[in-house]
Amino acid sequence: MSCVSHVSLSLHSKRGFDVRSFGTGTHVKLPGPAPDKPNIYDFKTTYEQMYNDLVRKDKELYTQNGILHMLDRNKRIKTRPERFQSCKEQFDLVITCEERVYDQVLEDLNSREQESLQPVHVINVDIQDNHEEATLGAFLICELCQCIQHTDDMENEMDELLQEFEEKSQRPFLHTVCFY
Amino acid sequence: MSIVSLICIHSQTSDVLFLDFIVMASDVREQAHGSVASQLHSSEEDRAFDMTTSEKVVELLNQAALISTEEKLIVLKQVQELIINKDPSLLDNFLDEIIAFQTDKSIEVRKFVIGFIEEACKRDCELLLRLIANLNMLMRDESVNVVKKAILTLSQLYKVALQVSFSVSDMQEACWDMVTQLKEDVLALLDSDNDGVRTYAIKFTESLIITLSPRTPDSDTPKKQEGDISLDKIPKDHTYIRYDTLCDEGKLALEQLLKFMVHPAISSINLTAALGSLATLARQRPMFMSEVVQAYETLHANLPPTLAKSQVSSVRKNLKLHLVSVLKHPSSVDFQGQISTLLLDLGMSQSEISRCTPATVQPRQEDQDGNNAFFVLAEATLVEDDDDKEEPAPVVTPKPSSSSGTQSSIDLTAEFLLPLLNPENVANLVLISMVYLPEVMPASFQATYTPVESAGTDAQIKHLARLMATQMTAAGLGPGLELCKARDEEVKEEDGGMGESSSKDPLIIRKLSAVSLGQAISVVGAQQAAYKSPVTEEAPQIKKLPEPILPTTQPKAPGASGRKKVFKLADVVQPFSEAQIEKLANMAIKRILQSEKAIAQSGMSHVRVKLLARLVTQFEGGKKNDLLQFILEDMRGRSELAFSLLFHEYNEYLGQQPSGSLDSYEHCLFTLLSGLQEKPEQRDGLFTKLVLEAPVITDSALEVIQRYCEDESRVYLGMSTLKELILKRPSRQYQYLNVLLNLSSHEKEKVRSTALSFIKRMYEKEHLKDCIEKFALTYMQFLVHPNPPSLLFGAGEDTEVAASWTEETVRQCLYLYLSLLPVNHCLVHELAAVYTEAIADIKRSVLRVIEQPIRGMGMSSPDLLLLVENCPKGAETLVTRCLHILTDKVPPSPELVERVRDLYHKRVPDVRFLIPVINGLEKNEVIQALPKLIKLNPIVVKEVFNRLLGTQHSEGSPSMSPLTPGELLIALHNIDSSKCDMKSIIKATNLCFGEKNVYTSEVLAVVMQQLMEQTPLPILLMRTVIQSLTMYPRLAGFVMNILARLIHKQVWKYPKVWEGFVKCCQRTKPQSYNVLLQLPPPQLASVFERCPEMREPLLQHVHAFTPHQQAHIPASVMAVLEANSRKPEPEPQPELHHPEIIEEREVCCDEAEVATDLFFCFVMYIRV
Repeated sequence: MSCVSHVSLSLHSKRGFDVRSFGTGTHVKLPGPAPDKPNIYDFKTTYEQMYNDLVRKDKELYTQNGILHMLDRNKRIKTRPERFQSCKEQFDLVITCEERVYDQVLEDLNSREQESLQPVHVINVDIQDNHEEATLGAFLICELCQCIQHTDDMENEMDELLQEFEEKSQRPFLHTVCFY
Repeated sequence: MSIVSLICIHSQTSDVLFLDFIVMASDVREQAHGSVASQLHSSEEDRAFDMTTSEKVVELLNQAALISTEEKLIVLKQVQELIINKDPSLLDNFLDEIIAFQTDKSIEVRKFVIGFIEEACKRDCELLLRLIANLNMLMRDESVNVVKKAILTLSQLYKVALQVSFSVSDMQEACWDMVTQLKEDVLALLDSDNDGVRTYAIKFTESLIITLSPRTPDSDTPKKQEGDISLDKIPKDHTYIRYDTLCDEGKLALEQLLKFMVHPAISSINLTAALGSLATLARQRPMFMSEVVQAYETLHANLPPTLAKSQVSSVRKNLKLHLVSVLKHPSSVDFQGQISTLLLDLGMSQSEISRCTPATVQPRQEDQDGNNAFFVLAEATLVEDDDDKEEPAPVVTPKPSSSSGTQSSIDLTAEFLLPLLNPENVANLVLISMVYLPEVMPASFQATYTPVESAGTDAQIKHLARLMATQMTAAGLGPGLELCKARDEEVKEEDGGMGESSSKDPLIIRKLSAVSLGQAISVVGAQQAAYKSPVTEEAPQIKKLPEPILPTTQPKAPGASGRKKVFKLADVVQPFSEAQIEKLANMAIKRILQSEKAIAQSGMSHVRVKLLARLVTQFEGGKKNDLLQFILEDMRGRSELAFSLLFHEYNEYLGQQPSGSLDSYEHCLFTLLSGLQEKPEQRDGLFTKLVLEAPVITDSALEVIQRYCEDESRVYLGMSTLKELILKRPSRQYQYLNVLLNLSSHEKEKVRSTALSFIKRMYEKEHLKDCIEKFALTYMQFLVHPNPPSLLFGAGEDTEVAASWTEETVRQCLYLYLSLLPVNHCLVHELAAVYTEAIADIKRSVLRVIEQPIRGMGMSSPDLLLLVENCPKGAETLVTRCLHILTDKVPPSPELVERVRDLYHKRVPDVRFLIPVINGLEKNEVIQALPKLIKLNPIVVKEVFNRLLGTQHSEGSPSMSPLTPGELLIALHNIDSSKCDMKSIIKATNLCFGEKNVYTSEVLAVVMQQLMEQTPLPILLMRTVIQSLTMYPRLAGFVMNILARLIHKQVWKYPKVWEGFVKCCQRTKPQSYNVLLQLPPPQLASVFERCPEMREPLLQHVHAFTPHQQAHIPASVMAVLEANSRKPEPEPQPELHHPEIIEEREVCCDEAEVATDLFFCFVMYIRV
């Protein structure tokens, strides 16, 4: 069942979101020595393996840009990254950060055979690919999730909530509902 | 609640942050979750081994009654697992215990119970008989979340109930009735206040329709639902379940869904859900394809106005996605045209669409000529129209027709409309509906409007017809609807009493025709009425249509409407007064003016522009100014209007030929141009465009152009425009050129220089050349006048004013000429002619300004050479100046030298001519000219020496000099004193000594050597020797040698040199003692006479010799040395000295004097 709980970035809350992160591409890409030279792994690679690979390649660079730190934390949570399309679990809410990903999710969800008719809301918040935007975006999404879980009746209030956020953040949200 | 965040990993920054965020959230979750779960598990497993399943369930249920909600859920789930999956035989036993939790205060627990009911019924469908009442209860729960879960479960269980109803014989009818009741309740929830509940109801409706319609071979059924029941599996002879009833219920549900979808205030999520449901329906039940596609069409044309912009994007994205999925279904074949038109509108490319189309030939849309714009507009307008509607306009769903041959009412109406949509009718439609466009563009329209690519093609006209048909049908109009209604009636009659759905249609129509005959529809209606004559067979039906409510603004209305006999217009109205007419006209125009934005949104601005231009041209005065003022407020945005007005004015003028006046046109052009000219910061080239496109440039307009050019910030743009005019309007090009030429002597530097560069470029054009040249020469000719013409001071008249020439005015007359000169060299002769006649002040100015152009011409210019050759009388200074400019940086060419030499020898024997070319002359020529040259002004002499010695410029090549420095100094010594005074020669040699870098000790040594070998000895020889010694003391040894050699040359025979010799010896003692001892006794005695104080030291010098050395001194010499008896006082000088020599002596003897002399040279050097 769902775990309606409170989270904030300050970690003061007692309970967190039940959150899972996924990729939608065919590979996992991590930043490389140059923008056009990313490190590419398939979804079978564990975080451990990625970690070791990057340590071997350039320990200093990947320590400095935080990738190693990130992988270190990730591997304590789960062994390897997951691909959304391969995950058969049912969720209540999917948040994407890029329209392309949103489209991929929609396509995947719509191509699945309907069974339980359990709705899943998909929201896209476009976040541009730079440090500042990403920070803002992270806070924005976090705040959005907080607000959503504060609602008694998510589906009834979602529309209004998103409108509010749109206005506040001055960026358009895409929002749709799919069914499992 | 599970939340998934999808992060697309694409770069460093975002990844790191995002993953961090997600990770943090996950951490928290893990901590929170793990503890409870692990605790329970451990306590559980301890006992699990030694218990039967039944005991375990009892244990767990007991536990569940006491613990908190969260733990309770976990326990209950375990129970569910045990009795449903592990040991279903227990299900019956514990059913009541579990169901008892449906009154639990926790929402989650109640939701669990619903889930349990679902699982239980799926496991053993007969349980439904017992559980349906519980579900019914939960369906009425106070929490929406429980209700939603119940709806979800009912979606699943409805199928089970149907299955049970005819497979189990003793199934109670009451149970089915309850299920039916529940179904009705859920369908009613489509109108719930809660958005989420409505979403669930939509999904329920979807699955209900699937179940209550027959599966056909082309159905696209998900694998897991293969076994699901559907209408085709229902026996037709059941006791209480009637096939027909179910079939109708299914259709009704579809109808409700479709009706729900066109609700104007539908939420975006509901709409999204409904769109998805329709796609599922179309794929799983292709018989509904037609309704689904129609619904999509209607929706696309009528996006709810309540949607926000981003919601519109979301909905359109969904619509696209679902259309594609429908298109991929093979049964979409008949609808491919409609679907791909929709997809095109949604921004999908033709190639993408083709890729999604199952293999059938897609008719390619062909372009047709002309009138496209009307169709585009018509479509846009139609789409727009519906935003005005206040009433829901449900699509009247035709009878779901499994036999594809029957056409829907939309199809019929579209067919009826298609032949009527000729360009003229469409244009009229558009014009009339303009009136009803809203002030502000609704967000949905803005988002959905895409330029219609296929405008005017058959396919697009068909699409347009369908759009209109959709609207008309929605409004309850159109022949198609009539036909369908008639058909339904028939069916109804055949059916007997069971016509529940068909009876709905007239109801809806009634409601709509009364209320929502909106404005736009009335236009369509009116049009339709107007075109009824050609379509004879439809005529009777059209007559039955409700009379449209015509808006009063329609011009035809008063005349066309009836009541002829009692009403006479003339009786009740009076003509307006002039003032009233004027006022009304003004107001009308003002309204058209102000409607700018609204009309622009409708895409009809060009009509408005035309209208305004045509109207205003016909009026006098005020309105024109108003319009012009209006245009100038936003010239950029209203340029269309400006041009249109201008052309209309010109047209008006042409229409009145031959007596027409250009005044009105001129005023219009002038106002527009002035407006632009006075406005700051216009960078968009509107001014240029206006000038170049104006049919005629009037004089006043030309003045504005000139003012524009005089504005320093826009001078380039202005002159480019002027240039274009000159080149492209040949009929008056000289007039335009004159403007530009006048600007070439403008007092602002930037204006002037830009004009000059433009003129220079135009000077290359043969037909403009003469005109430009003439202008330049005319201006230059002003210089011969005693006073500058008033023209130069901006006044137009060609009268002379009392002002005198200044540097500035002189330059003004020459700018253009001088910039042409490097391009056309033969103009230089004109300058010479003017120069000779000009006054001295002007001459000076001219000499100052010609440097640049003359240098540009270069010394190889034949015209310049000719000028030198001819050198008109009075122009000598000009020619000299030219020569200096030419040779300032580069050595003279042989041709130039030849011309100058000629001039010098044959016509003007002024040696100054030679100076610029001196390095091009022969050695002997220079030596010949030297006496004359060194007599010139000291500064000039210095210049000559600089040229000769190559000390003039660092980059100059000294090797070019015909004389080496040594030769020059020797030549100076050899100047005949009859040709030049000694003083000038001495000054000249001093100049040489001043150049210490050139006259090194080596050079001087060679000079001394050569001078010493000459016979007779040059007068200045010893002066030079002493000078050299002063400069280079280390030459002393060499000088001793010289002195010794001079003794051999009997130096005492040259009195002036001898005198110098003695001075030199005096200055160089004691080295000179040995030289003195070589003198013959009489000459030694002569030395002592001149300097008696030398005798004693010399004698002591001799005494210091070794005896052997002393033996070499002749006795006669010793005698002179020891001649003590001689009187100390010297005899008076026997000879008279030349004054020069006296001076020389002073110079030579007095060291201070030498220093000042050197200093003088130094100062000269610095000064030059």
